Amino acid sequence: MNAKMATSVDVSLEALAENQIQEISLDGHEIYVQPISMSESLTKLAQRIDFTKMEEEGKELKSVAANETEEGDDEAKSAFKQETWPWDSVHTKLRHSLTEASVLLDVLNIAKEKRYMLLDPIQQEPPESRMFTQVLGKKKALNNAAQILQHGSERLRKSDNLYHSSAPAFQMELLNVRRNWRLKKVANSILGDLSYKSAGSRFRQNGTFEVLENKEMEEGAGGHDTTPGSAGQQHAGRRSSLHVAIPSHLQGASYIYVSIQKDTDSLASANLTIPSHPTDPLAGETHWQKKLEAAQNVLFCKELFSQLAREAVQLKPPIPHMVIGNQITATLFPGIQLFIGLCHSNDQDRSTEPQQQQQQQQRQKSEHNHILEHSLHQLLREMHTANISLPMPHPSTAMLGASKRRRLAGPHAFSRASLLQLIEGKSLLEQIIEQAQHTVLRIRSTNVLDSIAMQCRDPQIVIHWNALSDATHAAMKLNITSQGYETICRTSLAIHIHTTSVRVIYRDGRIVKLSHEPHELTNVLLGVVSVHNISALQSLSKLMSWQILSTCMNLGVGEVEALGNASAVVMASPSGERVLAIKSGPISGVRVYVQGLPGNTSSDASTLETR
Amino acid sequence: MHNLSVYQWPLPEGKNGQQAVEILQKRVEQLGATKTGTFCVDCETYQSSLGPNAPTKNVFLVHNTEHPATTFAVLESGLVLVADSLLDIFMLKLNGAYNLKKNANIESKGQRYEQMDFVIKIGSVSIGPSFKGILVEVEYQPCDIPASCFDLMREFMQGFIGPSVQLPPQLVAAKIAEPYTPKDTVQQYLDHFNSLRRTTAAGPPTRMQ
Amino acid sequence: MAESLSSVLPILPAKEYYLQGSIHDAAKDILLHRLRGLCDCTESEPESFHDHEMVYVIRGVGIGGVQQMPITVRASQSLEHPEEPWHLRYVGNPEASGTGVDRSKSAMVRTCIDVGTSDDLIIFLQELGFRLDFEYVTKGYMFRKGRMKVTVSKVFRVVQPGKTDSIEPMSLSCLVELSLTAPAGQDAVADDMKTFAEQLKPLVQLEKIDTRRLQSI
Repeated sequence: MNAKMATSVDVSLEALAENQIQEISLDGHEIYVQPISMSESLTKLAQRIDFTKMEEEGKELKSVAANETEEGDDEAKSAFKQETWPWDSVHTKLRHSLTEASVLLDVLNIAKEKRYMLLDPIQQEPPESRMFTQVLGKKKALNNAAQILQHGSERLRKSDNLYHSSAPAFQMELLNVRRNWRLKKVANSILGDLSYKSAGSRFRQNGTFEVLENKEMEEGAGGHDTTPGSAGQQHAGRRSSLHVAIPSHLQGASYIYVSIQKDTDSLASANLTIPSHPTDPLAGETHWQKKLEAAQNVLFCKELFSQLAREAVQLKPPIPHMVIGNQITATLFPGIQLFIGLCHSNDQDRSTEPQQQQQQQQRQKSEHNHILEHSLHQLLREMHTANISLPMPHPSTAMLGASKRRRLAGPHAFSRASLLQLIEGKSLLEQIIEQAQHTVLRIRSTNVLDSIAMQCRDPQIVIHWNALSDATHAAMKLNITSQGYETICRTSLAIHIHTTSVRVIYRDGRIVKLSHEPHELTNVLLGVVSVHNISALQSLSKLMSWQILSTCMNLGVGEVEALGNASAVVMASPSGERVLAIKSGPISGVRVYVQGLPGNTSSDASTLETR
Repeated sequence: MHNLSVYQWPLPEGKNGQQAVEILQKRVEQLGATKTGTFCVDCETYQSSLGPNAPTKNVFLVHNTEHPATTFAVLESGLVLVADSLLDIFMLKLNGAYNLKKNANIESKGQRYEQMDFVIKIGSVSIGPSFKGILVEVEYQPCDIPASCFDLMREFMQGFIGPSVQLPPQLVAAKIAEPYTPKDTVQQYLDHFNSLRRTTAAGPPTRMQ
Repeated sequence: MAESLSSVLPILPAKEYYLQGSIHDAAKDILLHRLRGLCDCTESEPESFHDHEMVYVIRGVGIGGVQQMPITVRASQSLEHPEEPWHLRYVGNPEASGTGVDRSKSAMVRTCIDVGTSDDLIIFLQELGFRLDFEYVTKGYMFRKGRMKVTVSKVFRVVQPGKTDSIEPMSLSCLVELSLTAPAGQDAVADDMKTFAEQLKPLVQLEKIDTRRLQSI
């Protein structure tokens, strides 16, 4: 090869006796491949030289290259120098590149002169052409492209069909899911999140679900495609092209039941069937939206219950709360208990647990309190909101995550008491217990008032409940009037019902605080009624121009009342011939004593009026 | 909403600190006050190191258990900076310019009493292990203008401190018509601490205001 | 009582994890929209802020007159909310692990101490011997995403010292900062920040910036 490359004339280029035959024409004439000329051969060989090769690869090559270009003969020398200092290699490389650049410049200059050197375009050697392989290759490539196109058109047609048919396509469904739920794509699967984390929940359990394409649906759609008909359309319309895979612990339906029970109720055992639950037993056919909602509800109930259970264990009330299995028991008032339970019925697990049975029994026995359940949900949501809606700090560099009052606490030197107020957040359980207590107290008070209003005929008792109330406070107005004389005498009372106490406010501003015991309210009301009788009499006596001789609100004479004090009024008739003494006691009722004129010794008549 | 005075109570003859505290506690309990935990007011001192030409400055960091989220930084000029309790750590970061003075921590620690609207705190002051004196703090909660309630307080305080209580403490007297702030409490304590630091427990007890 | 109070008392000592970037004013609105979508509390308008920040420096002298390293502290006040406490802040140097040196960490880390104080902070610092180094005013919006705080702020130069109403903008860009304070050793949060920063690309490139290199330029 070297010999060939050499420019010496000695090298015989006519070594080949004959030139290659390129073609033999039909008349037998041979067309030879024209031998390449010297300069062509030179350029061809020069083309093969890789100038970018490092000079370290061999001095020989370098020298050949040097020969070929007839330039740069000393550049390789430095490569053999010992590397003496760290920048040596850089130094050499830089020098080499400088040399090469100079050489290039020189070459260009020389070439420009056109006296010593000419630049000729290099004729590329035509690549070996193998028609057969080329044809095969092209065919294969075309085939591939056609397949892709066909596949694509198939899919397009399919999706187009789906789009036009009544069943929405997977993508459309997915878009709908995306509108209401949090989705993200992880590798090849589409995952969604049911949890309330973005809404402020700190519940650990994960609520990941997976969105899957319904394969059956595709087949169904295919069938529908071939045989379009109303039946097929209906079939396709019912089925969604998308289904969601929900983790097993979130399947089924669940709810929190809340009930208030009296201790005395015996927990009778009875066999009860599982109540029907909102999810269709054929879970596969449920619409994804309903399925997701149900699963999210399960997650929510679980969070709610675990929160309540945690609080129940942490709180230290005088009568400890009990957490057994899926049920929390808290004592509201002596003998009255609040049950909060988590009911979770799983589609897959249809066997009833004994606990669940028990819950069902209790649920049957005492009506499930929907209002309290609702407030529980509300309370948890409020907690969520509070978790994420902390005010932003000002200035902006200040620390995030403290309430405004907390930030002021240090610089304003809050006292211990006000700091304690800051953290005085009531737990969910405490709040629901308060609400339940209020419910019990309100029902009890209502019963007391109603029964008194029914028993007591003569002074009429009218109760006006305030339309506005909240979960732990209700108020009412109570009017006591005497029939026929409603405008003349009226006793008004305001009654406020709190969680564990009742406040009765008299018209003159006196306040009586009562405990949760219902009979206390009864006593107060009986006392009020008896006083009302006397004051009504007084008003009437003025109207009838009777003369009041004396009144006494708290009578010290006569037989002792079982409860409270009797009051009395003594009045004389307009003519002064008769004197009436009327005594009204909360228990004993009204007694009227009539006296004739002094001297007229007619016997005292006494009448007893029953209330 | 409170007004408060701090007095030093001189040690009775022949009694040590512990006994003296017990005498006071007994008196207060006889008045019908109830114990409501303990309290502690302590003070750390940081000293400047800003070169030989600059005068040495002191910063006092005062903590009061009544204001658990707060650190008071008091300068010698009387300026009181009220800050989050993280200021303690902040001051440590100034190491090099301001250094914590070793063995200079002084604290008043003791029993807290409440009687109706009054809060009484009997604290024994100590620097490290050495006892320095007794400070009595009386707080009247409903009112924060000293002028309008000091007479009442004096009457109450004479009941167990003795007739020595006549005038309000200097600091309170200086702004008797202005609302009382927690800063004033810190200042009062600091004044007492500074004077107690100079005395020895064995020395003649001086009455400070 | 002590236990119950501890829940309101601040957590000590904190590290600040942070990433910084900048955005041109013209693109700021797009970024704000993006942030509104990504961050918590989307239903409300983004919270604006307008702060005055002063940087004070003190240099201690050790035994024998040896000059110590200068200590820098920041005093800032909200001009929009003057009732809020003043804010005194010590910010340490970025830790080596947080700077460009250590590639494994996703965010820069520095010690920071945040102290809310009463409004006589400036006099306090001056009396301590602090010297005002420089001051500036920031205006912008902040967002919250979990424990992360995102601020998009425009920095203004104070023309007349101490007067916060005569200000001129420093540049045509806004400073975007993503920060999070956490107790020391919670390096995992840095990865969350990195993930969040990824979502803001290509609007803004939140990166670790080696400020020491900037200073040497």
